[in-house]
Amino acid sequence: MASTSSSMVGSGSPVLKWVLRLAVVGYLFFLVGWPSALIVRRTFEGGTQAFSDALHDPDVTHALQLSVTVALVAVVINLLFGVGMSLLLVRYEFPGKRALSALIDLPLAVSPIVVGLALVLVYNPRYGWFGEGLDAHGIQIIFAKPGMIMATTFVALPLVIREVVPVLEDMGDDQEQAANSLGANGWQTFWRVTLPGIKWAVVYGVVLSLARSLGEFGAVKVVAGNVSGETTTAPVLVQQKYQNFEQQTAYAVSFMLVAAAVVCLIVVALLRPSEHSQSRRLAKNDAAAKEIP
Amino acid sequence: MSIDVSGVTKKFGDFVALDDVTVSLPTGQLTALLGPSGGGKSTLLRIIAGLDSADTGSVTIEGREATNLPARKRNVGFVFQHYAVFKHMSVAKNVAFGLEIRKRPRKEIDKRVAELLELVHLSQFRDRMPSQLSGGQRQRMALARALAVEPTVLLLDEPFGALDAKVRKELRDWLRRLHDEVHTTTIFVTHDQEEALEVADEIVVINDGRVEQIGAPDTLYDAPANDFVMRFLGETTDLGDRTVRPHDIDVSLSPGDLGAVSGTVTRILRVGFEVRVNVLTDGGQEVLVTMTKTLARSLGIEEGAKVWLTAAKGATTVPVMPASVAV
Repeated sequence: MASTSSSMVGSGSPVLKWVLRLAVVGYLFFLVGWPSALIVRRTFEGGTQAFSDALHDPDVTHALQLSVTVALVAVVINLLFGVGMSLLLVRYEFPGKRALSALIDLPLAVSPIVVGLALVLVYNPRYGWFGEGLDAHGIQIIFAKPGMIMATTFVALPLVIREVVPVLEDMGDDQEQAANSLGANGWQTFWRVTLPGIKWAVVYGVVLSLARSLGEFGAVKVVAGNVSGETTTAPVLVQQKYQNFEQQTAYAVSFMLVAAAVVCLIVVALLRPSEHSQSRRLAKNDAAAKEIP
Repeated sequence: MSIDVSGVTKKFGDFVALDDVTVSLPTGQLTALLGPSGGGKSTLLRIIAGLDSADTGSVTIEGREATNLPARKRNVGFVFQHYAVFKHMSVAKNVAFGLEIRKRPRKEIDKRVAELLELVHLSQFRDRMPSQLSGGQRQRMALARALAVEPTVLLLDEPFGALDAKVRKELRDWLRRLHDEVHTTTIFVTHDQEEALEVADEIVVINDGRVEQIGAPDTLYDAPANDFVMRFLGETTDLGDRTVRPHDIDVSLSPGDLGAVSGTVTRILRVGFEVRVNVLTDGGQEVLVTMTKTLARSLGIEEGAKVWLTAAKGATTVPVMPASVAV
């Protein structure tokens, strides 16, 4: 019955449709679903005891705390700079704008390990460009939190910008000009008109950045070194524990990371259908209203 | 006291949008900036509003030097073609925006917003979001928003351009009545000559970045400064070496006047009450004549008939410019 109704709605043959569905579901199952499910299964294989034991391991709590701290700081930085850069890219004309726009995508293209190495080259205390000077003033970047925050920020840099830029472009500067002519200064215009207009894009970008930052491994591992567990984040800890044959702990931390990511994605999914489709519907209404009085 | 624009030039790259424009717009009147698209009229309006800046020249608003004043300090109300409503604010919030920025007391704001919504007939929509309004309603809301700050001058950039013909006509009448009530100096940009002739006290015709003519609608219509103005203000046709309006041509079936141009009727088209007659003169010129159906019948003209054309007595004519471009 379902196939008759869908064949009436769809254009292809019902057989092809089911084959395609099967292919997609199978693909996702073997690539994503099954492996993730195994993590959950392994975590709770011996009941919840092993999981709660792992969570009481001081290494684990420290790593999780460190991951959350680093991720939050990186997200705040990316939020401020992301919104600022988006405004710069969309609202202002300046030489080198296209180069800057391309540069922003670099963190997506470059391997995180390379990002970590690059930061080490610049900031390490012995031969880095800035490292020596900063070290002389007692500021340590590499093998410490600042370096880890920088690496994470670098890797998650494009996410807020790539969400906000299209929405800003779509919005146009009409509303901002109107606010201006009504007496609002730049700051008032931003808070009262621009920010409410891009609000959901910003929230979406932040949630994505948070998920990405929590899970960052390569770049952080390179800059963090291994200062007796002090600079071990959750993803790095997973690798260490796994290699040290403490699989149960590795699974537990992995589960925490998966859970955090899933929560982030659920938040996004909840936001997107309601708010995004609504704003899109409004935009459509706008277009229609231009023709229908 | 008025708005004085003097020697304003504005270029966008190689394109000259305004070329040394000097114009004085009188206080308390409804002035139309009329011209074809890309002629520079919107640019002039935006320069008066401070949304664009002139390359050279100066702008004075009611005796106050405004050339280097930012838009927010000029106290002008600006209405955009595509409304530029604040999408995330209710109708009342939109209208209240300028007053809230000016930190007026809550009570005063509420009172003023209620008055304005009354004025634009949107009182029952005060809590709606802009997306729930029609285009005409949105534009009225945008107008109320601009009027809320009691602007020295109200600027409207093709305010009815995005609306359909019927609503456009309604809003046009309504704007005229509103202006008669409020008396704020108002300047609006339009490319619709009918709109300008019907609504404005004064019309400034702008083309190619220059002012072609300034005057009352009747003056422009009866005494156009050149063939561009004449062509832009309505349909025209060339008869001999004069540009004349098609309804100002007398048709006769016999050679009467000395200056009459003879020709043959090539096509007769009836559009409602109007009859449009195409005549090919013996000199090879295509002339369009319009007349009422009644007149056409009483004359008894038909396709292929030989006719003699003269410009009617008292008709407005201007010399045909060589290589002039028809609009």
